[in-house]
Amino acid sequence: MTEPAAPADPAAEPNLVEVRGATRRFGPVAALRPLNLTLAAGDHLLLAGPNGAGKTTLLRLLAGLARPQQGEVRVGGADPRRAAGARRRIGLLSHQPLVYDDLTCEENLRFFARLYGLDGGDETVAAALARSGLAERRDAVAGALSRGLKQRLALARATLHRPELLLLDEPFTGLDAGAAADLVTFLRTRAGEDGTASVLVTHRVTEVADLVNRVVVLDGGRRRCDRLWAGGDGDALQALCAAATAGRDRARAPA
Amino acid sequence: MSLVGQTLAILRKDLLAEWRTRERLSPMIFLVLLMLLVFNFSFDMAGAPLHRTGPGVLWSAFVFASLLGLQRTFAAERDNGCLDALLVAPVSRTGLYLAKALANLLYLLVVEAVTLPLFTLFFSLPVGAYLAPLPLVLLLGSTCLATTGTLFASMAGHTRLREFLLPLLLLPVAMPALISCVAATGAVLEHSRGGAASWPPALAAHLEMLAVYAVVYSTVCLLLFEHVIEE
Amino acid sequence: MPSPSSPTPGAPATIRTHGPTAVVMALMTAALYAVFQYVPTESEMGLVQRIFYFHVASAITAYVAFLLVFVAGIGYLATQRDSWDRLGQAAAELGVAFSIVVLITGPIWAQPVWGRFWRWEPRLTIMLITFTMYVAYLMVRAYGDPGTRTSRFAAALGIMAFVCVPLVRFSVNLWAEEQQLHPVRIALDPRMLHARYVTYAAFAALFVYLLRLRLDQLHLRRRLEELETQVEDDVP
Repeated sequence: MTEPAAPADPAAEPNLVEVRGATRRFGPVAALRPLNLTLAAGDHLLLAGPNGAGKTTLLRLLAGLARPQQGEVRVGGADPRRAAGARRRIGLLSHQPLVYDDLTCEENLRFFARLYGLDGGDETVAAALARSGLAERRDAVAGALSRGLKQRLALARATLHRPELLLLDEPFTGLDAGAAADLVTFLRTRAGEDGTASVLVTHRVTEVADLVNRVVVLDGGRRRCDRLWAGGDGDALQALCAAATAGRDRARAPA
Repeated sequence: MSLVGQTLAILRKDLLAEWRTRERLSPMIFLVLLMLLVFNFSFDMAGAPLHRTGPGVLWSAFVFASLLGLQRTFAAERDNGCLDALLVAPVSRTGLYLAKALANLLYLLVVEAVTLPLFTLFFSLPVGAYLAPLPLVLLLGSTCLATTGTLFASMAGHTRLREFLLPLLLLPVAMPALISCVAATGAVLEHSRGGAASWPPALAAHLEMLAVYAVVYSTVCLLLFEHVIEE
Repeated sequence: MPSPSSPTPGAPATIRTHGPTAVVMALMTAALYAVFQYVPTESEMGLVQRIFYFHVASAITAYVAFLLVFVAGIGYLATQRDSWDRLGQAAAELGVAFSIVVLITGPIWAQPVWGRFWRWEPRLTIMLITFTMYVAYLMVRAYGDPGTRTSRFAAALGIMAFVCVPLVRFSVNLWAEEQQLHPVRIALDPRMLHARYVTYAAFAALFVYLLRLRLDQLHLRRRLEELETQVEDDVP
């Protein structure tokens, strides 16, 4: 069951993200068929679909971590693989924390602050630590933190430079209820901010129903569904995703 | 942020992590010591003149230890998945390569700085001004090893060859540099018989070759790195 | 040998056999005749010198193959097209094969002439080092997961290895200046020159033929994989 995309009026301002005809293969397997997607500031997208649908692949294309074999990906008008400026607008939160185990929380954040050319230096880092509730653990080596705390550090790292586009790849993996709740709170706050966008890949669809305002369902590398979501019931969202992939078996709909 | 700034930031981070754990330097240094031991029993180091067997022993020990050290170039990034964090940051691939290669070069130089005195101790090499060119040989040789090793280390995690990939690739590719290093070291050691601190004649040719190799390896590896590091 | 014609442009309609095979066989026969019948026996080394024609032709062919790997590597990194990747693979395989011929015929020649099967003299040493580089290349291809990453690694290695070939040459020559044992110039009977050219032509034809064969095979294999995937996906 395919739905036409209905995001905000494209003539209003240039899209934050534009994907045109992007394909990606791994050997003979096509992880993404030619895919088109646009995202504007204010879109908080849930990217759903079964395993192997191409969700992570698409996310990595958006992050500039992978190259499309055909087509192009643009973030803020530039190719994230080539243009460092485009990458500055992106933050990545993965199921791995992506922090250095041998460095302390403070050293980790200071390193990434330097990489992003953030001027604030120590104050920026201190503020980020405070925001994540890690201020007392600034001198703790990251490897010694629990999974939940590490994910908080990862979130601090990902948002240190105030990215417009936040990409989240299964961020709830391995988090206990408390840590997951913290993440949900953060995402809810972010969804209310102006000028930001997110792409969230997760299996825990029911929990994020009020964090997203748009749903894209992928299956077999094809986009099966792309519609706005006005918030609400997690079960309804789950049903929507299931219906989008179920349609594939009944009829061969063009992507 | 400028290229130099990025390179230094990553280099600083690597050195900080290494300083805290010393998980590369210590084993490398200890391994060189062990290699010298092995070579002592494998070759008649006392009998043959030192400038014959010495260079080979010295460089074999360096290369072996450096192979193990180079393996770990991207270990921190791989273990924690941080490579994605680095690649998604506005850091140029060149900056990443330079930082890693410089770090490797520094580690190799530290190991050599420890090994050389050990070598002179174990094999009774007379110390004198004639040894002055040796640091230059070490620097150029280590540059060749570090630059190619960094490139190959970035590939090592992604094939089933795993730890075998680095030695299989590095040894043949770096062989021209190794040949010149050994020859240059031999020229330096042999010149000790002369006694004076003058420059041994054959050395200039070898150093020129090494300089050329260092430039060629660095340039080619730098250009190839960005194609190899991405997915 | 009939086979269904392929709808994909550039794919072979059949594995080409008849015309080129005849050419290669003719040239090889000519070369064999030239080397074993036409050319006089060399005075110094005797009968074994005849292997020299194949030895040298193999060496030249191997280096040409490695040059192709280099070009294919650049082509692949620049365009990301699989055809360059296949060229690199096929050329590397052939290069290694012909290198093995060199490394075997060398000692066969050496034993009666130098008295030993192996001496660490420059040209053989260079060939051996080059051989190890490309064997490593083939290992990376063989042990890498199929996909663009491995292809890119291979392309980078193909470029790096070829850049090293002249470096290896300089180093080893410098290292073994006094040990140059290869005869610099073989006796100048004009018939020997003819034989050399015929042999070179035969090996060139053989190389091109084998390359074409292997490329077709790799292309078909890729096509087959794509079709299999399509069938699995249940998409027309």
